[in-house]
Amino acid sequence: MPYQNENDGFEVIVVGGGLAGLAAAYILADRGVEVLVLERGDYCGAKNVTGGRIYLNPVREIFSQLLKDAPFERHIAHEEVSLFAASRSLTLRYDGSELGDPPYQSYSVLRAKFDRWLARQAEKKGAMLATKSRVDDVILENGVVKGVRAGGEELRANVVIACDGVLSLVSERAGLRKDIQPQYYAVGIKEVIEMDRKAIENRFNLEGEEGVARLFMGDVTAGMFGGGFLYTNLDSISLGLVVSIKDLLENQREVIVSDLLERFKQRSEVSLLIKGGETVEYSAHVIPEGGFNALNSLYGDGILVAGDAAGFALNIGVTVRGMEYALASGYYAAQTVLHAREKGDYSRATLGLYRQLLEDSFVLKDFKSFRDALSVLNSPRLFQHYPELLGNILRDLYWIPPGPKDRLYSTVRRYLGVREVWQALGDVRRMSKI
Amino acid sequence: MSLTTGLKSKLGLNVFKESSKFHIRIKEGKEKDPRLQKAVLVCPAGLYSQNPEGEVVLSSDGCLECGTCLIACGRELLDWEYPEGGSGVQFRFG
Amino acid sequence: MNIVVAMKQIPDLQQVRIKNRKPILDDVPLTFGNIDRNALEAAVLIKEQVGGSVTVVAAGKEGLEDTVKEALAAGADQAYLIICNEQEDIESSISAKLLAEAIKQLGSVDLVLFGEGSGDNYSSQVGSRVAELLDLPQVGYVERIELTAGELVVTRSLEDGKEVVQVALPAVLTVVTDLNQPRIPSVTQILKAGRKPKKVMSDQELLGAVPTPKVKTLSNLAPEIKRKQIQVGTAVELVEKLQAEGFLGRA
Ligand SMILES: Cc1cc2nc3c(=O)[nH]c(=O)nc-3n(C[C@H](O)[C@H](O)[C@H](O)COP(=O)(O)OP(=O)(O)OC[C@H]3O[C@@H](n4cnc5c(N)ncnc54)[C@H](O)[C@@H]3O)c2cc1C
Ligand code: SF4
Repeated sequence: MPYQNENDGFEVIVVGGGLAGLAAAYILADRGVEVLVLERGDYCGAKNVTGGRIYLNPVREIFSQLLKDAPFERHIAHEEVSLFAASRSLTLRYDGSELGDPPYQSYSVLRAKFDRWLARQAEKKGAMLATKSRVDDVILENGVVKGVRAGGEELRANVVIACDGVLSLVSERAGLRKDIQPQYYAVGIKEVIEMDRKAIENRFNLEGEEGVARLFMGDVTAGMFGGGFLYTNLDSISLGLVVSIKDLLENQREVIVSDLLERFKQRSEVSLLIKGGETVEYSAHVIPEGGFNALNSLYGDGILVAGDAAGFALNIGVTVRGMEYALASGYYAAQTVLHAREKGDYSRATLGLYRQLLEDSFVLKDFKSFRDALSVLNSPRLFQHYPELLGNILRDLYWIPPGPKDRLYSTVRRYLGVREVWQALGDVRRMSKI
Repeated sequence: MSLTTGLKSKLGLNVFKESSKFHIRIKEGKEKDPRLQKAVLVCPAGLYSQNPEGEVVLSSDGCLECGTCLIACGRELLDWEYPEGGSGVQFRFG
Repeated sequence: MNIVVAMKQIPDLQQVRIKNRKPILDDVPLTFGNIDRNALEAAVLIKEQVGGSVTVVAAGKEGLEDTVKEALAAGADQAYLIICNEQEDIESSISAKLLAEAIKQLGSVDLVLFGEGSGDNYSSQVGSRVAELLDLPQVGYVERIELTAGELVVTRSLEDGKEVVQVALPAVLTVVTDLNQPRIPSVTQILKAGRKPKKVMSDQELLGAVPTPKVKTLSNLAPEIKRKQIQVGTAVELVEKLQAEGFLGRA
């Protein structure tokens, strides 16, 4: 182990052993850099929550070796989206060889298992890991970050990488964070429901280690911005909701967020899916979803910020994406440190390379192209009006009345009047921007 | 089963490690702040409630460390930090 | 003073789930029991008072080399580890033989500390057995240790009182949890732990032939919990029900 002496400090301190932090530590250790990861949980992953699906395509190349033996749950071979109105729902299913054949696009994942595994890989490369260690503050000297304080100790380093998640205390203390604004955040709440492996495969029509990802919109969140999700794991189901915190604060009906999840589970469409399963964990976590406009400063003198800490998660209506941005930004932070190390200079100017690397990668490209996603998607029409409307049309299409049934055209026409179509066109135009 | 008892028993499924002090506090004098009443709605663990005097009180059992109350109420109303290393919720699945 | 602390690697009991009345141990992190930590803290405090060294001796399965870092971070100077991968669950008599042999190999030892019982099955045998094998005096239920001029004065916590005894060294003590509050290691301590000396041996290397176990665990079932699901409408009703169940109103 390269660690020498507590007085002359470390080359790099990574705060937070989540995906961003462990990715950075893995790359740095692999290149022989002395790196210390500080994680407050009993083990890596102990504090982390995700919905459950990680997309590999964007990060396959940069982590080609690493991700080969990763303990993922199931590869997602079937996608379903359901629109929920008050007492009916409409579901679209998408599958086929595009999804079902390797290399698989995405996998379901459980973080306690995955992060612990990733930590072991980083340690094998030589990274030092101290768990049960909470960072309390940064050491700031003349505006330059010189290390961190943890458990009454000063730990100095050439550079600190803040990977401490959405509430990032480290970047806040370093003065890199915007003030908290509820509209930039959602809360995700989730249950892990244990179920027999065969029962999962039968219920969801899965072959072997195939998995399904299901999303639910509309009444699930009482019309608030967000949605429900269901991912199948090997021996369990991840079921939960993501809801805009601003909408929760402003909702006039005083909906309690934990009740929303209970109601979601009690919907007949959902209760059938989880029947016979046993809830084994209940978790919650804030998600940054403000997109490009809400990103925090990405670097300063002696500091880089990666993952949720920087704001790198996107809510694009059908899915929350954050894990691959965390892995990739950790990777680019590590690349930046390697460059700074060569120059022997960890100033803001040198670390600015980080932004450049992110601009050139899918990370900031995605954030720019989804720049307006939040404002477009966060429209009540999308989460209340359309599910209701589609439901109405379908009900009338399928409804066999006691008397003669209307012709299809007039059924549809009843709902899709000129005004409706005009407004819908407007919405489509706005949607096409994201 | 009512929704609240359901919530308590769900929290009972998690692993919580003891810590020497609770890591969130309502700032003194802010107990009746109307913005704080929103915490009652948004806390996924149902730890905030309003007492008959109209003050919001915080129970310290079962915090998921999600941060929702901090985002909703801000540092003006809450002293909020993570529990010390090795304590608090430890997810087995995540 | 050369102090040995015997510690047992056990699953983090708070992390163990029960399914169909059986504990699920997959992926459960390994750690040391709380009382073992008290024993270690006591040893470190004595060392800090009079100097010397603290050696952790432990017998267990793979993972032990990693788990022992916790003890090295919390103040132990070195570790002597016996890896027994063949054995399902190491029987008390066999762990005692292994530990006693390891302690003999360490040479001059003044004090050996054990937790009164292990965190997982609390058979409370190993300390006494090791004392016997090493031909040392043993004092149990120790809740306070004082060191004066080469002799130990220890307080034993008994059900109906406290007993104070004097022990000549070398000796074996088994301690209870009221003894102290184990320290939380700092980051520097955690990092240094990785570089402290460790001697690792297999049980065969240490004993030659390992005795075959004579006690076999057949089942380890959690008690069945029956919820009565009694519903009450008013506080008065609640009190009545609790009285009827015998939870209230007893002297
Ligand atoms: C309900 C939900 C559903 C989601 N669904 C998806 C999805 O399907 N797909 C997807 O890609 N993304 C999803 N996301 C987002 C994704 O989970 C996050 O973007 C991702 O986990 C961010 O990783 P990270 O490493 O940046 O942060 P985290 O995983 O939050 O890691 C931060 C780490 O820092 C540690 N830490 C924090 N503060 C300190 C401190 N002071 N000292 C020491 N350690 C500290 C924490 O313990 C933690 O280990 C979802 C999120 C939620 C909550
Ligand atoms: S952090 Fe989350 S669970 Fe804890 S009190 Fe705040 S809102 Fe509730």
